[in-house]
Amino acid sequence: MAISNTKEQVLVGRDLTAASRQRWRRSFGPDLDGFGFILPAVIIMVCLVVYPFFLAIWFSLSDAVIGEPGRWVGLENFMYLFGIMYDGQDLPWYLKFTGFSWDLSLADDIFLMTLRNTLLFATISVVLKGVFGLGAALLMQRATRMRRFVRGSILVPFVAPTVLTTLGWWLIFDPTYSHINWLFANLWPLNLLGLGPFQWLGNPNLALSSVIFVNFWRGMPFFAVTIFAGLVAIPDQLYEAAETDGASTLRKFWHVTLPLLRPVMAVVILFSTIFTLADFGIVYVLTRGGPMNYTHLFATYSFTVGILNQEIGLGAAISLFLFPILLLVVIFQLKMVRKETGYGV
Amino acid sequence: MVTPYEKTTSLAGPASRRSFLRSSLATSAGVAGMLLAKTPPAMGQDRELRLITFSHFVPTSDEELKRQLEEFGQMAGVKVRMDRVAHLQLPAVLASEVQGQKGHDLTSLWVGMPDLYKKHLVNLDDLVEKVGRRAGGLTDNIVGRDGEGHYRAMPWFFISFPIAIRTDLIAEIGETMPDTWEDVRRIGMQLKAKGHPVGIQLSHSEDANHILRGIIWSWGGKLVEADGKTVAVNSPETVEAYKFIKALYTDAMEEEVLAWDDRNNNVCLNSGKCSMILNPISAYNSARTDNALIPGTERPVHQVINHIMPPAGPAGRHMSAAYNTIGVWKFSQNQELAKEFLDFHFQKDQQEKHLTASEGYNQPLMRAFSMHPIYASNSKYYFAPYIGWYTHAPGWPGTPNAASETVWRQFIIPDTAAECATDRLTAEQAVKKAEMQMKRLYRRHS
Repeated sequence: MAISNTKEQVLVGRDLTAASRQRWRRSFGPDLDGFGFILPAVIIMVCLVVYPFFLAIWFSLSDAVIGEPGRWVGLENFMYLFGIMYDGQDLPWYLKFTGFSWDLSLADDIFLMTLRNTLLFATISVVLKGVFGLGAALLMQRATRMRRFVRGSILVPFVAPTVLTTLGWWLIFDPTYSHINWLFANLWPLNLLGLGPFQWLGNPNLALSSVIFVNFWRGMPFFAVTIFAGLVAIPDQLYEAAETDGASTLRKFWHVTLPLLRPVMAVVILFSTIFTLADFGIVYVLTRGGPMNYTHLFATYSFTVGILNQEIGLGAAISLFLFPILLLVVIFQLKMVRKETGYGV
Repeated sequence: MVTPYEKTTSLAGPASRRSFLRSSLATSAGVAGMLLAKTPPAMGQDRELRLITFSHFVPTSDEELKRQLEEFGQMAGVKVRMDRVAHLQLPAVLASEVQGQKGHDLTSLWVGMPDLYKKHLVNLDDLVEKVGRRAGGLTDNIVGRDGEGHYRAMPWFFISFPIAIRTDLIAEIGETMPDTWEDVRRIGMQLKAKGHPVGIQLSHSEDANHILRGIIWSWGGKLVEADGKTVAVNSPETVEAYKFIKALYTDAMEEEVLAWDDRNNNVCLNSGKCSMILNPISAYNSARTDNALIPGTERPVHQVINHIMPPAGPAGRHMSAAYNTIGVWKFSQNQELAKEFLDFHFQKDQQEKHLTASEGYNQPLMRAFSMHPIYASNSKYYFAPYIGWYTHAPGWPGTPNAASETVWRQFIIPDTAAECATDRLTAEQAVKKAEMQMKRLYRRHS
């Protein structure tokens, strides 16, 4: 009897617990377990992404310097970069939006140069990576011999540590003993052309071209491999149907391959644009922003201002300057990804 | 033979679930208490004196510094640790330590940093006075001070910039050693025609910052007034200095100097290409260590390198130098111990050993140490005890401060000088641009 009582109590207790759990589960929806599964990832994201991001926003709106918290200054850091002055502190609140004056000659001209460099750097580099990455992916798809070797070796620039490979390029572009200049001077038939010596890192245009080239060299494999994965996923039946309709190779590429690669391309361009805009190591190792600031990017200039010069608030404003533009790019790209291709596959 | 049961049995007997929970709770409470009190347990409270410095260009200098730190540690009965970082990485490492308010106790600092970090560095007025009195005074009275005149770091040593010159090439063209900047241009023009240009950086490098300031000063120009606050770069003297830099670049140098870092001029001289560079004695020392040969001969290049004083301009002989200081962080738990180490390190014996280990590279700022026998041991070091007469800290005639440090870090002088040299701007426009950029930075730091 005693045993059966205990059993009953246990059963009743279980029923009560189960009922309350079910009620709780109903109130939180059917994915309660799912919340638990993603919790570690959410914690990591909050600690490593969300918190630093909002901290950077706070810094950009403050006059923080290294080692001191700073106070709220609104958009003053951004205004300083463009030479916008505000002398309306004494105005009543409803007139605070007046009192601004703009003198471009007071703008931070190194920042304006950095803006130009970054846009050129990112645009040219991403376009080059897109074109040559697509070409490399098509070649990889058609490779019949040493497939594994080709697919593996193309990734080497991407997986090797950036600083290490950039140090290699630094020696290749060396101002006094450039390997390329040596080839132009000594290797037949290049030596017949009378080219060089070129100042790869000393001439402003060549220096920007050099850092763009190294970024392209490093980032192209990411495009190639990702696009290759997209190519492999295109069903053969579509090509067979196009062939039945008499489509040429160019038409198949234009009307089958490219439209079906669009989602993959959109994602890879999105990632590459973000990475390229944030590039630091290549410029820091090769030129440190020189010559004459012609290769400073947002990351290197914000490092100079925010860390070396202590003005972490202004440095954050420089690095966050492109955030609104990047946000628009992300929204546009994600919309593109969601667009259906209309092939019924 | 040990049974599986015996293997898992401790001397205190098998642990029950309750005892496990109890000990877990006790451990957690202890850890939480330590974290809240920010105090390590007694066994973790061994004191450790930590020092960070840049990786010296003469490694034996660091070895001697470490030896002295260890000797001091033994005397004081504390652990010691010395860390080194590449010289260009030092500012970033210090910034992260200050932001986190933790790190080393003692830190190597460059000339503008005592003011830049004045809120985070211990006042060393008393120690500087004590050491200075013991060592016959300081050869420079502004290095190590903040904007208010307090010593935030001990003046440690300076690294000077004489001309390192190929004497054989000068003899070949029948010239004498250059004494003025105009001599440098004239001789450099002849030697450039023979494939041996002059090598002075016009780039994002430390050397460019030093040498170009020296040229401006030698023409009577200055970046700021003596108050250290009023920007004074836009003057006829600075414009003339920029015109000279353009002439020197066009006549005696090659385009590669626009991309040089601090290493390239050494390489250029030691490879036999450059006829002269402005550089610390490291170029000569590395040529000697590596036994670099003049191309096409068996003659070591170090035998034909000599050092002479930096050239004079219309307003005299002036040059900048890399001044090094050493300070104690306010967040250090061992401030008194750190000051005791500095007192020990700045004793005559220790200073002489440090100087000897650096092969004369660490030129002392204490008068009693400046006539060291090492400078008489090699005729190529003759300049060293006297070059301090012509040498000033960046920011001169003002005190090096946070604003002068930011002007330095943004390479405003090398960039504008390069724009003038490469015809992107006239000398007047380049100087005007430097003035605008400097005024913007000085306004932010005022």
